[in-house]
Amino acid sequence: MSKDQEKIPKMWTAKRIKETGEGGAISLMVFLLLLILAAGVFGENVQPGAKSVNKSVKQNKRTTAVDKNSQVVQKNNQPAVQKKSGPKSQEKTAQAKTETGQPIKDKAKLQVVKENIFLAEELSLAKNPQYYFVLNLKEKKIELRARGMVLKSWAARDIRYTGPAVPLKVTTLAQKTALKPPKRLLINPAENQAQESSTAKPQEKKEEKAGQEKTAAASGSGSSDNFEVQALEITDMPTSYELIMDNGLQVSIRTKGKEKSRQQRELISWYVLRPIKNLLSSKKEIKPKMIIYFEKERDAQGLYWAFIDGLKGLIWLP
Amino acid sequence: MKIWKVMLVLTAVIYLVVLFIFVLAWIKDIRQVNSWNEVYAFRIDPKEKLTPEAKNAALKKQVNDLRPKGVYIMVDSAENRYYLKKDGETIKEGLVSTGSGVVLVDPSGKRSWVFDTPKGEFFVKSKIQNPYWVKPDWAFIEEGEPVPKRMEDRVEGGVLGDYALGFGNGYFLHGTLYTRLLGRNVTHGCVRFADKDLEEIFKMSKIGTRIYIY
Repeated sequence: MSKDQEKIPKMWTAKRIKETGEGGAISLMVFLLLLILAAGVFGENVQPGAKSVNKSVKQNKRTTAVDKNSQVVQKNNQPAVQKKSGPKSQEKTAQAKTETGQPIKDKAKLQVVKENIFLAEELSLAKNPQYYFVLNLKEKKIELRARGMVLKSWAARDIRYTGPAVPLKVTTLAQKTALKPPKRLLINPAENQAQESSTAKPQEKKEEKAGQEKTAAASGSGSSDNFEVQALEITDMPTSYELIMDNGLQVSIRTKGKEKSRQQRELISWYVLRPIKNLLSSKKEIKPKMIIYFEKERDAQGLYWAFIDGLKGLIWLP
Repeated sequence: MKIWKVMLVLTAVIYLVVLFIFVLAWIKDIRQVNSWNEVYAFRIDPKEKLTPEAKNAALKKQVNDLRPKGVYIMVDSAENRYYLKKDGETIKEGLVSTGSGVVLVDPSGKRSWVFDTPKGEFFVKSKIQNPYWVKPDWAFIEEGEPVPKRMEDRVEGGVLGDYALGFGNGYFLHGTLYTRLLGRNVTHGCVRFADKDLEEIFKMSKIGTRIYIY
């Protein structure tokens, strides 16, 4: 054995591997590692006697959906019982119904049942005076509705969705975040008077607005026309931002052609990093995420304008 | 076998492992993305008396019944446009001016006002021809004038156009002298119309007519 070979740890020498059969052990370890990973991917989808569907996830979602469904039924048929029963007993009832109910195999019927749950949820929203949103992934559009009628609609160029499906129930916009959120203009007459007295210059704008300089002569309800203000308009709204829903769904809004480098980074993240992260994460850690691409930046801005904090809505998955 | 051969084999193994992980990750991802086609595998409640189709029709009717009937007004504050609707059909549309979104601070620092047009569903609560504007405190503060104590000093005529429709909390749909500003966010929360447009709206609407601002 040469000196060079002596420097190398024993376990890495080909001779040792050959002699001791550690090569087989290493191969076995690699094989087992891959098997564990594969089991992580496929194992959760394989159920004895079932087709390749994610039964555990499916069961949870079924329970949620049927829970909602059963609530509607109870409302119609047994309102007194529902009032008395607590959430735990409702859950049990729903679970029992899930177990005893017949699974729907007919796709058309399934669609009707699904639509019924959607309509029941929409009905609860439409009874309130506030408008609400409906995010339709199948038709790639977002609608603003009030009392069941469409107030405004935006067509998305593309919508991507990943992660576990969000339940078909009312969700609330918890937060809006943007790199450059619009800033309201502040008028403080006291400060302006102080500025006027200290400098001989004419009255200046109250506050610099990020990016754009635009002026519009304004009046109270029309009383004076001799001073200028900067208004917060749709063009001041961001074109890229995030909407975070209370069910954990993060919706990213993007405009095609804007912030190309950022979108390229997101593309890599979406197709390479996120799948690996999801693979290594447990099922509970994976959060649903959506990216909506608009053709026109005004659409993205309009959505930011209309989606006020606390806005309720529904997400319609295909 | 030399060391470089071992390294080569190890590199190949690592490469294959990484590739395998990538493939697994993608497969899992695709399955997960596609899983939301399957999660709504609902079951029919055996105690449900109505068929899914009958229930669907009943729910649709309930939602439809909530829709406004007759004449109603829609105001898009982002685009500064209004739509006069009757039974779902647009009768008339045009430009308006809505809230500027500016924040005015009282020099005392105790009060502040946000000049936003409220969003949501409202009802016409008052109909006024040749309205007078009773200037609120902010109108004086904004102009750097002292707030008058007498009501008479607050009244100003001619600035609200020929018609005004009140929809609560001091907010109005009203006319304007400043038609060149229609289409911009310049008001203190009211919705300004061109007088000609408002005339028709005024005539068609009545107390209780619904207004949707979004």
